[in-house]
Amino acid sequence: MMVSAQKKQVLTIWFENRFGKERLIPEQTFYLNGTDTLVINRFKYYVSHIQLTNTAGKTIVPENQYYLIDIADEKSTSVQITVPEGSYTGIQFLLGVDSSRNVSGVQTGALDPLNGMFWTWNSGYIMAKMEGTASSSMIAGKQFTYHIGGFRQHQQTARNIRLQTTPFHTSVTIVADAEKWLEGISIAKEPVCHSPGTLAVRIADNYSKMFSISVKE
Amino acid sequence: MRYPKTIVTILCLGILCTGWIQMGNYFRPTPIRFQVPKGWPQPLYNFKENPLTKEGIELGRQLFYDTRLSKDGSISCGTCHQQFGAFNTYDHNLSHGFNNSLTTRNAPGLFNLAWQKEFMWDGGINHLDLQPLAPITAENEMAESLAHVIQKLEKEKEYRKLFKAAFGDEAINTQRMTKALSQFLLTLVSSNSKYDRVKMGLDTFILPEKLGYEIFQKKCVSCHTEPFFTDFSYRNIGIPVDPFLKDLGRMKITGESKDSLKFRVPSLRNVMRTFPYGHDGRFFSVLSVMEHYRKNMVLSPTTDSLLKSRLSLSNFEIGQLTAFLYTLTDSSFLSNPAFAAPGKGISTTAPVDIHNN
Ligand code: HEC
Ligand code: HEC
Repeated sequence: MMVSAQKKQVLTIWFENRFGKERLIPEQTFYLNGTDTLVINRFKYYVSHIQLTNTAGKTIVPENQYYLIDIADEKSTSVQITVPEGSYTGIQFLLGVDSSRNVSGVQTGALDPLNGMFWTWNSGYIMAKMEGTASSSMIAGKQFTYHIGGFRQHQQTARNIRLQTTPFHTSVTIVADAEKWLEGISIAKEPVCHSPGTLAVRIADNYSKMFSISVKE
Repeated sequence: MRYPKTIVTILCLGILCTGWIQMGNYFRPTPIRFQVPKGWPQPLYNFKENPLTKEGIELGRQLFYDTRLSKDGSISCGTCHQQFGAFNTYDHNLSHGFNNSLTTRNAPGLFNLAWQKEFMWDGGINHLDLQPLAPITAENEMAESLAHVIQKLEKEKEYRKLFKAAFGDEAINTQRMTKALSQFLLTLVSSNSKYDRVKMGLDTFILPEKLGYEIFQKKCVSCHTEPFFTDFSYRNIGIPVDPFLKDLGRMKITGESKDSLKFRVPSLRNVMRTFPYGHDGRFFSVLSVMEHYRKNMVLSPTTDSLLKSRLSLSNFEIGQLTAFLYTLTDSSFLSNPAFAAPGKGISTTAPVDIHNN
């Protein structure tokens, strides 16, 4: 097979952010466990190292890019990559930023520290961020803020995501369910996470389960 | 008949080139070689990613002394890092930040940063280029947002010119700004103290200095290791935690209790100028540090094994050690005009005390 002769196509990946079954819209009220009332103001996460598996089981590795998915920025919620023409059944990516970019100085583009996803006092990226208010919170303004990061051993919060589905060609939708972050987390007891550590790792384990895939073509 | 053709081609090329140069596309900043002092190891900073140039260093110096990097235009890096004090905050235990706030730690001197892997007393910052982001955005320092700093710089014609000279075009972004600051910071090499000259055979210690050096090699050098006078490790020397600052040091970064109360061993170069001492500036003189080592240490599980029985230091030894520490003052560094604020000569008097005006 001649690689150079292979035709290319654009694949669009849509990130559909939800809370449970509902679309995640900033400032809208959601209910958690039937008792807690929740409003989410910020929901952002990094996606990088996207790879695809085609129907023949072969892995395609496009050139790595970093994307910051942000519910406040409609444009950011779809990502376009160029791949060989074909039919795909699997998609893998890293939720977060790989360790090497956490130790290589100041980056540009989606990784520019001015995007507010970088800890300046303890170098490293915030892989994902969720902020809002909850009736169960007992801190000022009934807030909760989860800034999840950490790349060192035992503090790693980047997660490899692997999703399988029926064949897709030019577009695929990945659903991210913010409610999954809060499994086993008590907003009343743990309203804030602002540094690497065990709480960050627990929430990272939670958000590693927030993705599912749906094909609409 | 081939020559005329060739000549015409060359002429055309020549005209094209001059046109291109005049259009301002000609970009060749002046490379500067980083000088490694004799006998020192190779620097850790990756110069390949950020090659030093005359233009880059000059831009970095402008930025270092520019108060526009702070929210209300009152504070520059140079406000807290003063050349007279080897770029510490001279005579201040803690530094003054935005709106009468105070920092929570003592500002260390800035020099020989090219050999340093991690920054801050707890090593929380893992790259020199990342360092400026912390003071710029901290509420108790410059209290400004990065996006806003970039906007302010973009507005200045002078800066657009300087960025173009350093990086080839007028684009200003976080990466370019911090790379330029690093270039300036990297030039702050202090390697010309009396101690260095003695080591090179160009000078000799007087007796107290010589005796002091011998004591130093017995009692201090395992942590304050030559030639940097630090081994860059994190250690607990028995300084009890301040009840208000509650600063656990390295543990704040690693989250591990074995790192509780550990702070980076500070360099002792220029130490006679960098008072007050200790991570929160609680020691106002070298003598009080010595008293700490021999009498006031509070031992705890993470106290360094070398200090488990404190340090025995006689008054005589303290006198000799102090004489030796004076030989670490690098006056050519402290008065090098290349490091001073642009356009202003170097000041040889101590900075005005900001408490009194
Ligand atoms: C309000 C005072 C203040 C300002 C303004 C300030 N600094 Fe600092 N700087 C400090 C303090 C305090 C520390 C030590 C902090 C710590 O260890 O937690 C420090 C640490 C540093 C270090 C690390 C030194 C080491 O040995 O680890 C560097 C480098 C540095 N500052 C550069 C800068 C630059 C560049 C700027 C301007 C963008 C700047 N500083 C602005 C107070 C300040
Ligand atoms: C076990 C390692 C160790 C030994 C041995 C040691 N030091 Fe230190 N020294 C440190 C550390 C760590 C600090 C910073 C502690 C802090 O602020 O929390 C320090 C701080 C200092 C300071 C303050 C410097 C500044 O800029 O704040 C001076 C001065 C000093 N030491 C001198 C000495 C002398 C002189 C000796 C020998 C008599 C000595 N030290 C032995 C680790 C050591």
